[in-house]
Amino acid sequence: MSLYLSGSFADKKDAAQAIKQLKTNGYGPDDLTVFSDEPVEFPRGVLDRPSHMSLAVVSGAVLFFLAVVGFVYYTQQDYRLVTGGMPIFSFWPTGVVFYEITMLGAILTTTGWFIWESGLLRRDKSIPVPSIEPEIICLRVRCNPDQFAAAQDLLQKAGAKSVAKLEKKAA
Amino acid sequence: MLPPTIPYHQVRDDLWRPLAGVSKRYVLTLSFLMAVALWGLIAWGYQIHEGIGVAGIRRPVFWGFYLVDFVFWIGISHAGTLISAILRLTDADWRKPVTRAAEAITAFALMIGGMFPLIHLGRVWLFYWLFPYPNSRLLWPNFRSPLMWDVTAISTYLTGSLIFLYLPMIPDVAQLAEHATGWRLRLYKLMALGWSGSDREWHALERAMKLMAGIILAVAVSVHSVVAWDFAMAIAPMWHSTIFAPYFVVGAIFSGLAGLIIALNIIRKTMHLENYLTPHHFGNLAKLLLLMSLLWLYFTFAEHLTVWYGNEPKEMNVFGARISGRFSPEFWTMVAVNFVIPFILLGIRKLRSITTATIASVGILIGMWLERYLIIVPTLSLPRLAAASGRYSPSWVEVSITVATFAAMAALYLVFSKLFPIVSVWEFEPHEPEEE
Repeated sequence: MSLYLSGSFADKKDAAQAIKQLKTNGYGPDDLTVFSDEPVEFPRGVLDRPSHMSLAVVSGAVLFFLAVVGFVYYTQQDYRLVTGGMPIFSFWPTGVVFYEITMLGAILTTTGWFIWESGLLRRDKSIPVPSIEPEIICLRVRCNPDQFAAAQDLLQKAGAKSVAKLEKKAA
Repeated sequence: MLPPTIPYHQVRDDLWRPLAGVSKRYVLTLSFLMAVALWGLIAWGYQIHEGIGVAGIRRPVFWGFYLVDFVFWIGISHAGTLISAILRLTDADWRKPVTRAAEAITAFALMIGGMFPLIHLGRVWLFYWLFPYPNSRLLWPNFRSPLMWDVTAISTYLTGSLIFLYLPMIPDVAQLAEHATGWRLRLYKLMALGWSGSDREWHALERAMKLMAGIILAVAVSVHSVVAWDFAMAIAPMWHSTIFAPYFVVGAIFSGLAGLIIALNIIRKTMHLENYLTPHHFGNLAKLLLLMSLLWLYFTFAEHLTVWYGNEPKEMNVFGARISGRFSPEFWTMVAVNFVIPFILLGIRKLRSITTATIASVGILIGMWLERYLIIVPTLSLPRLAAASGRYSPSWVEVSITVATFAAMAALYLVFSKLFPIVSVWEFEPHEPEEE
């Protein structure tokens, strides 16, 4: 069973120090979460969150591009227009449609990937979330019961203003 | 002069204050605007019932006020997303209090602009024929038609703009949800998607906003280019021009900036946000506006010079009508309000202020509306076949709908500013001057 504790830091450097020490003591990035009311940028290597958003967006755009080219090709061929043997599908006059739908693919993938990567709609509601105060950085640590006291001590030594145990909510 | 450091709790209180309560003045203003918008809807209903003949559009001018309004509102929509995206990508810190107000203009202007192709349809109830769906007649939309280009471009831009407006609102609505009650609580909770302020969420949001800024920039440029190509693809006098797309994009940013300055000044005054929307912000926007005014002049000059030097008779007919003929009052008014007045008011440093920037912006909006009128009506009035020439005068239906769109825009903006902080709270973190 996992326990959660939260340390409140007024200084970003103290929070970064606490994260570094916790990582040295065997905590992984999944065990550590920082909460704040504004984005907090730590130096590289402190708490990196690798992202595949750019790759996903390009893939989404390519997928939409292929889909729209296929769709337009199919519909133009399906259009029973007498053309005297002239080609009915033309790439350039439909280029605007291809371009716009490709960009639509990029937009929708960005939105979808943001929701996925941020974990917004798939968060485990039983995991406690510390209440955030303005200009305070909260570091939530997931630990085993036998690691609890050591983690608490480490947070305090790193400069946490307060350290509290977070109670799990009923799912 | 940079704004002084304001404590976070005061920032939040100041920016949330306009959301609480509804004043008598607010109700009266909103009621008036809604009444005008309703009048426009009645006029449109009358047109649907009686037929498109109640509008002033007649052979050969089939594109009158409706197309002028369409191009104008799509242009205004470039205020937000494009400007906000440019400022986001260049990490311009002064953008922070400006972006949401700008992005909201985009969303509402696009909604209004996107309605004009429908209003312009003779049989609006058949608009769904534009959607590609299998039907018994085995007909598909013609994807090579600029009308389909417009449909896809505007749909993409509207989707992107709404998302671009919504994403950075999530942290703010999550905070609002903690303090709201009743229907507002339900609305904010729904919109917050369970935002908790974790580093994963912030990282994902920042990445998404950077990517969206790049994408939306490309889409915004394409949208107004497509609107320009609606004209440039036709071999009509003074339309068939290779520079029409960039000319339209410049004009769109120009009118969008003017709309943004007016909106920001009204917000600043009515919501008492003088500490957040400072002369510094207006100064920067005014400089941008001046730059766009010069660019607009350059494009207008280049466009007219090549026609004059080419001396092609059909083009010279339209050119003459604009410069010294029956459209010359509109033309020279446009030059005065789009260039002469902004150049004096914004170019002379001593004269540059919030008030003069707003005065110049009002003039520019009038001038840019006239510019679209001058692009559409003279060319259609004086086609290549001289015998087909004609005149255009708008009917009360077109005038009513045009006026109603301005009222609808203002009403939508008023409602939005009562529901959400018009300045992004989380982005407006209290900075020390050296950090700025």
